[in-house]
Amino acid sequence: MKAMKIVKKTLGIAGLAYAGLFCVFYFDLDGKLLYYVVEPFMKNHFDNMKRRDPHTVPYEQIEHEYMK
Amino acid sequence: MKKPDFSKLKDLDVKKAAKDFVYGKPHGERRLGDLYIPKTGLYKHREWRGIKDTMYYFNNIWLYNYGMIVRDLMVYGGGPKGVVQFLKGTWRYRWMGQTYLTVMHWFDRCLEGMRGETLAASAWHFRGIVSACLYQITGFFNRDLNIGGDPALRAKTIGTDETVWGGIIYPYMDQGGYYLPTQMIPYFVTCHCNNHTVLNYIDAAQAYGLPGDPCPMCQAEAGIFIEDDVPDSYVAVVTTNEACDGSVGTSVIQDWMMNKPLFAMPQVMQFDDDTVLENCAKEIEMAWRFIEEQTGLEFHWDELVKHIKLQNEQNRFEREKWDVAANTSNYPINGVAQALYRIFYSQYGERPFWHDVDKRVRKIMEKCVNEDINTFPKTRHRVIAWSCAPLYYSAWCTWAYNCWGLNTIINMDSLMFDLEIRTDTYENCLLDIAKYHEWAPMRRMAVGGLQHIFELWENMEKFNCDMVMMYDQLQCKGMQGVVGLFEDEFRARNIHAIWMPHALPDKRTVPRSQIRQIINDYMFTVMGEEPLDPSLLEFDDIDSW
Amino acid sequence: MRDLKHLIYFEDLLQEANNDLVRKGKEDGNLCLGYTCYFMPEVLLDLPGCFSVRLRAPRCTSPDMATYYMSGRTCHYGRSLLERALEGGYNFIDAQLATETCTVTCRFQEHLDYMDGVINNATFKTSFTDVPFKKNDNSIDHYRKQLKIKVLDFLHDEFGVDTSDEAILKAIEINNEVNDIITEIGNYRKLDRPTITGYEFSVITLVSMVCPKYLIVDKLRETLEELKTREPDDKPNYKIKVLLAGSENDDPDFIKLIEGCGALVVADRYCYGSLEARNHINIEPGDDPLTAVAKHYLLTSQCARFMEQREMRHRKKVIADYAKEYQADGIIVESNKFCEYWSYERMIDTIILPRDYGYPVCSIEKEYINTASGQLRTRFQAFVESVELKKIQEGK
Repeated sequence: MKAMKIVKKTLGIAGLAYAGLFCVFYFDLDGKLLYYVVEPFMKNHFDNMKRRDPHTVPYEQIEHEYMK
Repeated sequence: MKKPDFSKLKDLDVKKAAKDFVYGKPHGERRLGDLYIPKTGLYKHREWRGIKDTMYYFNNIWLYNYGMIVRDLMVYGGGPKGVVQFLKGTWRYRWMGQTYLTVMHWFDRCLEGMRGETLAASAWHFRGIVSACLYQITGFFNRDLNIGGDPALRAKTIGTDETVWGGIIYPYMDQGGYYLPTQMIPYFVTCHCNNHTVLNYIDAAQAYGLPGDPCPMCQAEAGIFIEDDVPDSYVAVVTTNEACDGSVGTSVIQDWMMNKPLFAMPQVMQFDDDTVLENCAKEIEMAWRFIEEQTGLEFHWDELVKHIKLQNEQNRFEREKWDVAANTSNYPINGVAQALYRIFYSQYGERPFWHDVDKRVRKIMEKCVNEDINTFPKTRHRVIAWSCAPLYYSAWCTWAYNCWGLNTIINMDSLMFDLEIRTDTYENCLLDIAKYHEWAPMRRMAVGGLQHIFELWENMEKFNCDMVMMYDQLQCKGMQGVVGLFEDEFRARNIHAIWMPHALPDKRTVPRSQIRQIINDYMFTVMGEEPLDPSLLEFDDIDSW
Repeated sequence: MRDLKHLIYFEDLLQEANNDLVRKGKEDGNLCLGYTCYFMPEVLLDLPGCFSVRLRAPRCTSPDMATYYMSGRTCHYGRSLLERALEGGYNFIDAQLATETCTVTCRFQEHLDYMDGVINNATFKTSFTDVPFKKNDNSIDHYRKQLKIKVLDFLHDEFGVDTSDEAILKAIEINNEVNDIITEIGNYRKLDRPTITGYEFSVITLVSMVCPKYLIVDKLRETLEELKTREPDDKPNYKIKVLLAGSENDDPDFIKLIEGCGALVVADRYCYGSLEARNHINIEPGDDPLTAVAKHYLLTSQCARFMEQREMRHRKKVIADYAKEYQADGIIVESNKFCEYWSYERMIDTIILPRDYGYPVCSIEKEYINTASGQLRTRFQAFVESVELKKIQEGK
């Protein structure tokens, strides 16, 4: 009886999760989250990231065995 | 608050509504354009394709692919450590953190309106592409010294220009030899998936002094290095000149910014002449020696043969697909899936995930042929797409089919690598590998001699196409240099050709709406036709991915 | 400075591709062989019974027909050449010895090959040579093989030209004579107070490329003699000396424009310039003449299309070394609009030459014909002022 209850509960939760996911899918909620929240946040992060100054990269001759 | 208008319910045909609910609306009544939220490209809600296809999309595409992404990260990344590296990489690199999270919307754009076998087969192609991307992404991050990657893995890894064919690493794969095309994931695929990111790289190159007129693809490929947005995941680099002057120029910038041992493996431009093959073959052998010197790996002939045989298998299946595409109405793969999958696997090289996809697609295609399923029933014109395609609007062919019934059967890039590489002797194998390199993207038919560009006519005939979508990459000097000859030929041959201007990754030059407008104008005024779905004629997707 | 005796004559020869000496060369029964790029060794087109003409499209400011064929988004130089061809301006050439060394000139030459009757000359033919992107032994072998098949065999089989080693040696001899004269003339630019202007030298270099050598060599020799006694002006009419590097430039008026702004052009490291195009061709012991030619043209070239890491990095130093040798105060790096090789090369040169070699750089984009460019004039004037100021600050 208890096992049946657990199974039922599990199935119920799984069913709800499935229905919830379907709503996310159908109403493009994943897209809306990414477009309005995640991407602007990440963009802001990358725009303000400290990056190497390309002017500091050396430009000298590299001599290697393969060049001979 | 606005009151709901129930008056329309009076006119509702319940039977028809129920049928549409079960089977989806027929092509012509769908009004897919009404689903968009203006500017964003997002959907008010995703398309209802009928119960079967909607649930297929939800379960077998949307849920399945989200799940498989996690699975790929675990498998290719080598367990939880791979996931940690992935998260670090997502935080460190714009092309990852801002781009690839939107991957399922790439599926959406490309698979709009598809049904049944067409939906399934096309989606499997995308599954293959995504798997290949994750294979490379984890490959990058697991080795990346910028984010605490493994130096031992890095020591066996060669970075390459993205147009160096992945077969260069075949002889070393059994020893852990690894090949990372330096621009394919950070640049090329991003443009298809989410074209916002690439604009940063183009701007970075121009801010650094590059004029605005060179090919924007090469600009972006320089920009990712200038912007310091490339992982330090490889010990040395093999570069090449494919396919143009801009690519050579980009290599100069990349060399500077990478500042690592670099081997140039340029391929000849005038490849028709058999006397040039020997030169290419020797350069490839030198590249192998360079890889061995830099990584300590050894050349294993059997390993090379093993992978080439598997690759030949892929190419044979591709020919079977072309045969179905050319001669029947049962080909279940849409234009964008065909194009991207083909160029990706041909360029990246043989790997297990491609075979898995091919197996599944073969099954679907055989079903279509055996049951004579008309996969694109609203086809009005069979289109061949020629020259280099707009990366930010590779999904145009899905739109063109839905809106106008223009069915893109084949494209130029797909046809380039059509070569079965011999494995009987080392010499034959090497010569064929050289030829394969010479026939690389945008090389064989775009810049490798004028005569190959005009292979268009024989391919039109071979694939039974009655219309050409002529890509007009505004900053490709090779193709701009022949526009007049094409115009003359189109006129002389009385061919319907639509010139589609674009700037490869840069949507700012020719927005997608303008591309649609050009096609609309041609279809209305020259062809005198009416759209299948008028809601798709004009819509604003300027800020979409 | 005293005017050079033949300067006006030389200038006249540059007014059209089919100039008096080209016509005379044809009347003498020679084959006229067109080419565009340094990688097509002119010495092989100067075999007995032939003469080379490096194609130019002087005074072509509006290539309308060519723009239909090649769009407005390709290099003005390539389009101008096609325009001139479509106008009938190259009907005098008997063959085009083509190279695919940059995309747009390649496309121009492909048009000559593809379009019926664009060169109205019954004997006209085109042959394409593949040129490697590296300078290793493999590249030299490949290049030699290509020159043998695509140039020598082509000329022999199609036109009956003598392509024996003796004939090549003879052509090398004639070319070396011209090369040595031009080099010697060019050396006057190295003086503290040069006795030749960049404009004059550019005109002299160009005529040596577009006329039959046997018809121009006497006048070049005379000019060299004249320079031996030429005195510089008491007061220099320039403020600084510059090296000009970059992409294709066959327009002496562009040099005049720079010099009009106070910068004497003392070195010319660009396509159609004399460095390294007028180096002496040496034959090393053990090499046959064709191998010597292949080595010479491949190894001397500093073209931006070379891809070996060593070459990519070394060529910046080469420019700096030239600047030092010719006592330049600054460097002007130019690229033709739509030239992809030099768009990138110019970008790097603009950063590396000042940073690593200490030379001020003026970086500009230009068209094929630039005489009337007020914008460029402003740029050059500003550059001259800044370098002059720097010199004053350094107490020079």
